[in-house]
Amino acid sequence: MSSLSPVPVALRLAAAPVSSPDQDVTALATVDMVHDGAKITLTLLDATSAAVARQASVIVTGVPGDANVLVTPVFAPGSAIVSLVLAITIPAGKRLVRKVDARTGSLTTRWATTWRSHHALAYFDQGSGAITGPFHLPDEPSLALSTSAANSSDLLLWTTREPQPGDRTEIRAQASLSRLSVFPLGSGTARWSGPAPAPWPGGEPVVTLPNGDVARLVRGSHVQVCSSRTGEVTEQGIAAFGPARAKPSAVTMQARPDGAVFMTKPGAGVAVIADPAQEYRTTARIQFPVPASPLGAPWSKAVLSPVGDTLYVLGPAATGGLCAYDVRSGRLAASYSEGRQYAGLYQLPSGTLLAVRAENPRLAYFSSGLSPLGTADTNLHVSAVF
Amino acid sequence: MTGYDTASPIQDTYASAHAEFGADPAFWIRYFTPSPAAYLFSDDTLTESRAAWDSGGPNVGCVSAPIQSRLSGSAAEGQADAQAYAASMLAAYHAVGPLDLPSNGQLYCWLDQEYSTPLSSSYWNAWANYIAEYDFAGLGTYPLYPCLYCDPYSPYPNCSTIAKAHGVNVPSAIWSSEPEPCGSLTSPPRWNADVCQTVPTKLWQFGEQGACNYSANVDLDVGAPGFVTASYCFRVKSRP
Repeated sequence: MSSLSPVPVALRLAAAPVSSPDQDVTALATVDMVHDGAKITLTLLDATSAAVARQASVIVTGVPGDANVLVTPVFAPGSAIVSLVLAITIPAGKRLVRKVDARTGSLTTRWATTWRSHHALAYFDQGSGAITGPFHLPDEPSLALSTSAANSSDLLLWTTREPQPGDRTEIRAQASLSRLSVFPLGSGTARWSGPAPAPWPGGEPVVTLPNGDVARLVRGSHVQVCSSRTGEVTEQGIAAFGPARAKPSAVTMQARPDGAVFMTKPGAGVAVIADPAQEYRTTARIQFPVPASPLGAPWSKAVLSPVGDTLYVLGPAATGGLCAYDVRSGRLAASYSEGRQYAGLYQLPSGTLLAVRAENPRLAYFSSGLSPLGTADTNLHVSAVF
Repeated sequence: MTGYDTASPIQDTYASAHAEFGADPAFWIRYFTPSPAAYLFSDDTLTESRAAWDSGGPNVGCVSAPIQSRLSGSAAEGQADAQAYAASMLAAYHAVGPLDLPSNGQLYCWLDQEYSTPLSSSYWNAWANYIAEYDFAGLGTYPLYPCLYCDPYSPYPNCSTIAKAHGVNVPSAIWSSEPEPCGSLTSPPRWNADVCQTVPTKLWQFGEQGACNYSANVDLDVGAPGFVTASYCFRVKSRP
C-alpha cells in the first residue's frame, strides 16, 4: 500500500473535467473574476502524464464579480476545435423578502437576489492555440443548465427558456420550453434552431455517432437521436433497461470505435451494446447483480474492455469486490472480493482497473484478470476519475 | 403517515403498489429536473396528477437527483441545478390547475445525496440559497424550502457540510435513507431514522424496493412523529 500526495493541476474548477473522445486529453475549465469581467481558462491535459498540453484564456467582459459562470468544454470528434459553452448567471436585482423560518416558525425579513442567465459560446483551436469569441446568445432568461455535443462541423446545444410567472397558458398548451440549436463550429449564429422534445437538458449522457448525429440517453431508458443535418429527433426505447424502478440508477453511454454504443444501468443490473445503425438493436446484453451504490458518485460502475470482449463491474451488494463477464456469452468469467464495497470502477489507459471506495485505502488497482495489484491512500474524496 | 417515493410515473405504479400494500399512500415523492436518470413528474404533470388523485394520495413531494459528481462541485453548478429544479416545479404548477402549493406555505424541496457522494459547501450553499430565495410564480411568498435526502452516517461529507451552512442555507429537514428495516405501508417500523447533529430528520425511507424485495416500483417512507409529510407537498385538490 502507498500514500498518494496529490499534485493539483487546477483549482476552483468551474465544472467537472471532460475527456476527449479518444480519452487522450482531459479538459479543465476555471473561472477567475478580474477587473473587467470573468477570465475563462481552458487547460488541456495529457491524460497519461497529466502534463499541460495546451492552455488559453478569454475574458468575458461586463460580467460582475458576484456572477456565476458555468463552463462546459465540448470536444468535437474529427476536429481540432474545442467548444466552450458558457452559462452566465448574474444578479438582476435585490428585493426585501419576508419568509417563515421553518425551524422557528418566526417571520424573518431579509434581502434576496434575483438571478438571470444566458449562454455564450467560445471556441478553442488546438492547432493555433487561439480562442474565438465569446459570442453571447440572445436566450435570456434561460436556465443555466444545458446539454451539448459536437461533431466535426457543428455544435449541438440544448437549452431551456426559464419559465416565468405569466407562462401558465403556454405551458398548459404543452409548448416546449426547450430548444435544440445547431451552431457551425466557430460561429455564434445558429444555422438551425427549433423546439426540442422533453426532458429538459439536465445532465443526461450524450455521445456523437460516427455519422455526426448525436444520441442522448434520457430517463435512463430511451435514446433520442438528433440528426445533425435536419435537427429532427427520433426516439428508441432500450428494452433491456426496462421500466423505471423506485430508485433511479446511474446511467452511462459511450461511443465505441466500431460505431457501437455501450450503455450501463447498474441499478437494473444490466449493460448493453447496441447498434445505432440498426435502430439501437441490442447486440450484447450482460446482466449482473446490482452493486451496493448504484446511483451515488462516481457514476462509472461498469466498464467495457478496449477490445469489447469483457465487462468489468462492481461486485454484488452482498459481497462487494469486482466481477468480470464474458460479453459474448454473458457469463461470469472471474470475480474477486476481499469484502470491500467499491463505489466506482474505471479502466486506465494502461489496462489497469481502478476501483474507488469511501474509506482508505480509497484507491485499489487490479489487473485485467482481477488480480489485486496494490492500493493507495488519499485524503481526497473521489467523485470521478478522468 | 406513510407514503411512496418513486422514479417511475405514478400512473405506471399506483395500481401495483395498492395491490401489494392494500392501502392508499398519504403522499408521493416524485423526481424533478435535474434528475437525468428518472421519469420526471414535470414531463407529464397532468397524467401524473390524475394518477396521484386516483391513487388516494393526492399529495406530491419534490426531489431532484442530479448527476452525483456535481454535488461536490462549484457554486455555479449548485445554482444551475437549483435554478432548473425551481423552474421545473413552476412548470408543473402552471401545467395543472388544481395543483396547489401547501396551505402552510412550505414546499419542501429535497436534494438527493447518495451514500457514496460527497457534498461540497460551495454546491450546497448556492443550491440552498437559490431555492430559498426563489420568487415562486411571482407570489412573493417564497414557499420553497431546501432539504437534504442523505445517509447521515455515510463517511462522505453530508451532515458536516450542512452544519457549516448559515441562515436560509440551513436545510429545513433531513430525509434519511437509513436504517432500512423494511415494513409495509400500513405497519411501518417504530421511528428510528438516522440523524445529523444539527438538522432534524423529518422523513425516513424505511423500505427500499431492492433491499426489501418489494415488487411494486416504490420505496416506503414515513414522517417523524408529529410531522405530516403531506403538508409539505404539492396538493392535487381535485381530479384534473
